[in-house]
Amino acid sequence: MFEVVLNGLILGGMYGLIALGLNLQYGIARMLNLSYGEFFTAGAFTSFFTITLYHYNPLLGLSVSVPVSFAANWVIYRFLLLPLIRRAPNRDALDGDVVLSTFGLLFVFQGFEQVYWGGNVRGYYFLSFPVHFFGASLPANRLLAFAAAMALGGVLIFVLRKTRFGTALRAIAIDPIAAGLSGINVLELSALAFALGGAMVAISGSLVSTFIASSASAGIVYTLKALIVIIVGGPGRMAGAIAAGLLLGVAEQVGGYLIDPGLTLAINYAILILVLLIRPTGLFARG
Amino acid sequence: MIGAAVLAALPLGLSAYGVSTGIVYFANVALATAWALFSGPTRYISLATAAFVGVGMYTVAFAHVSLNLAVCLALAAIVGLLFALVVGLSTLRLRGVYFVIFTFGLTELMRQLSSWYEINITHKLNRFITISVDSIVIYEMLLVLAVAAVLGNWYVSTTRLGHALRAIGEDETVARHTGINATWVKVLVFAIAASMMSLVGGVYALRYPSIDPTVGFANAWSFQVLIAALLGGPGRPWGPAIGAVLLVLLSDLLVGAFSRYFTIALGVCFVVIVYFIPGGIAPRIEQLYGVLARARQAARSAPGASAPQEPATDAAAADDKTGTETGEIVRRRRSAFHPLMRRLTRPSPRLVVRDGAGPPPGAMLSVVGLRKAFGGLVAVRDLSFDIPAGGVTGLIGPNGSGKTTVLNLITGELSPDAGSILLQGEEIIGARSFEICRARIARTFQLVRVLPGMTTRENVMLGRMFGSDPTGPAAARSEADVLLDRVGLADRAELIGSQLTYIDQKRAELARALATRPQLLLLDEWLAGLNPTELKIGIDLIRRIQREGITVLMVEHVMEAIRALCGRVIVMNAGMKIAEGTAAEVLSDPKVTQVYLGDDDAAA
Repeated sequence: MFEVVLNGLILGGMYGLIALGLNLQYGIARMLNLSYGEFFTAGAFTSFFTITLYHYNPLLGLSVSVPVSFAANWVIYRFLLLPLIRRAPNRDALDGDVVLSTFGLLFVFQGFEQVYWGGNVRGYYFLSFPVHFFGASLPANRLLAFAAAMALGGVLIFVLRKTRFGTALRAIAIDPIAAGLSGINVLELSALAFALGGAMVAISGSLVSTFIASSASAGIVYTLKALIVIIVGGPGRMAGAIAAGLLLGVAEQVGGYLIDPGLTLAINYAILILVLLIRPTGLFARG
Repeated sequence: MIGAAVLAALPLGLSAYGVSTGIVYFANVALATAWALFSGPTRYISLATAAFVGVGMYTVAFAHVSLNLAVCLALAAIVGLLFALVVGLSTLRLRGVYFVIFTFGLTELMRQLSSWYEINITHKLNRFITISVDSIVIYEMLLVLAVAAVLGNWYVSTTRLGHALRAIGEDETVARHTGINATWVKVLVFAIAASMMSLVGGVYALRYPSIDPTVGFANAWSFQVLIAALLGGPGRPWGPAIGAVLLVLLSDLLVGAFSRYFTIALGVCFVVIVYFIPGGIAPRIEQLYGVLARARQAARSAPGASAPQEPATDAAAADDKTGTETGEIVRRRRSAFHPLMRRLTRPSPRLVVRDGAGPPPGAMLSVVGLRKAFGGLVAVRDLSFDIPAGGVTGLIGPNGSGKTTVLNLITGELSPDAGSILLQGEEIIGARSFEICRARIARTFQLVRVLPGMTTRENVMLGRMFGSDPTGPAAARSEADVLLDRVGLADRAELIGSQLTYIDQKRAELARALATRPQLLLLDEWLAGLNPTELKIGIDLIRRIQREGITVLMVEHVMEAIRALCGRVIVMNAGMKIAEGTAAEVLSDPKVTQVYLGDDDAAA
């Protein structure tokens, strides 16, 4: 049982890691980017090609994928989403437009990945030796992802709480209009938060690819996973995303262990639905 | 009709490929139209289509072993309906992205659960469909469903139910305060649409030799239907049908032309739709048609003829004159309404509506020991007052003293922690906003709330169609015009809410409140922001409303109006009543001066 919970925590750390970027995009910049997972697979593919084609450390791929994903997401916000924001008469209409257009982007990116990288599932071995921990053994690559989740989560929490830039971002998350009236350049900072989200997801894609093989069509799975984590944790709350990730990971492992391994995904969705019904603002949201 | 007949006769001459293409088209038309029935006007983006289709497929797959086909299909519709009722009752208070995610999660959950069930309980992932139905029969059945869906959608859009749905989509709070039982309307229509989806799913399952969870609960259904509806234009009854036909056609073409790049091409199409045809194709077609019709008209009438707008205004004016008469006639026809519609609008049995001319004696409304706290902030504290019937009562006090909270407590927007509110002796605490509206308490909002996407006339019609003594759209229309004339908006009846100026929005909101036929009208700073001339007109209007026997409670800061109108004034500060009396009495009360001007100035 200890091992099950431990595995759940490690898995949950990965969920938290995947969700951090989307939490910047959806929680702060308020754009539900359905093509988010495509940058995850792009990160995974970059690492895959770094090791298989060039035989470098797959994490070196980050030096390419992170800036590219950052720039691409900035461009998406600036040139694709901004016109929609300017045109939308209200929040509901904007949400609808954003969901649809990023859904279109998902197809475009997925199509390119399929054409240029093929439809195969791509995996490789990296840091796959076991690490012993209080009698349980855990693969090193998963531990690395867990550590990265905690570190990145910590950095984001620090930045959001303690810096001027972070305070501005939190203000935007709560009320973009009031933030604008307080002299915050809402559009520029939102674009930055959105782009940072893109950088984060590329990192998570690389790290997760060290232990989970990825394919061109896998992106949407990670987008949805991230979305569940964010909604359970409360949009915009980084600590909430990490906590929700851990909760979902443990629930999945323990549920799978106690009831049936075939029900792990069902457990995830059941938790999501329960949270939406009982506390739609998220378990770890304020107020 | 002719088109449908031709399509029905077509399979006799069609190849097998033609028939199966037809099946795909009709299924998509029926599903997209059903989707738009609920999601079009309410703007709830649902991704649960696949869940309902899957429920229909599985119902047929389970039931066909022991029951005959017609019973199976009926069962599919019923199971879909019941499932949607449960889902709707628990989730329709979610809005925006939360609803999208929830409906998506629902489909995923259903797929996971059905896979788990099939693998672990029946030990076979595939469930066989053992009856074979000729594909021409499937074709005809889906054609009937598609036509029924489009006609049904059109019919609903002309009824009160259709107006209620649109109002909910525009502003649910206003809808509730205008007498619409928003929860029930949403759940009912959501369930009807879902039932149609399950039925289509049930018929569609007959095409397959076997189904499995990835066929039954395929997300592709949800997305395809959503895109089709948005492409065509969910705001028009026939829009989704056009969208569905175009989308199926487009996918076929793209697969043929760019097989390798199909996904990319599809994605690009999506983005193009969002950017260049928001609102869908149907409104564009109507626009084009309108332009052509006008061009033809212009060509027919020789140069020198009057501008095309003028006849329209004449007609509107003529409408105004006959308004009252038609109103009378149509009101008598009200009993002809469908019983379901009556059920939707009947006042709650808890609230007895007293119909009767003239103000009844005694207090119209009594508030006793009312208390409401938000966390640690007590907004209303042990508040008691009476509103005499037939008069204008003012409720004043500094900002933040709890006035609007009191209005929200009276109209059921908030529920109090303690106390009671009696409308002519009847307790109304616990009644919901729409029930209170039907018990003949109407209100306006401090931040004016006209439904931005509906015309001024439609805004007012809502009040008449869902307030106390509701009527159908035709009668409501003519009575709305009378009210619009009264508030001075007769010439702006066709403008949509967002085009009205601030003052006109306030007028429209007042007309909407009056259309519910209130005995008590609550005005929340209705006179704020008017210039001196407008203020005079406004004061006259309120006075006339009072003379007609409507009791008025007005929250107001404009002292001039309070002096002119209010027989009785209640002053609040920090949630408590600090003074009550005639306007002259309370305004000279030192306590009142103190709360308005502060200690120093009051002393000076």
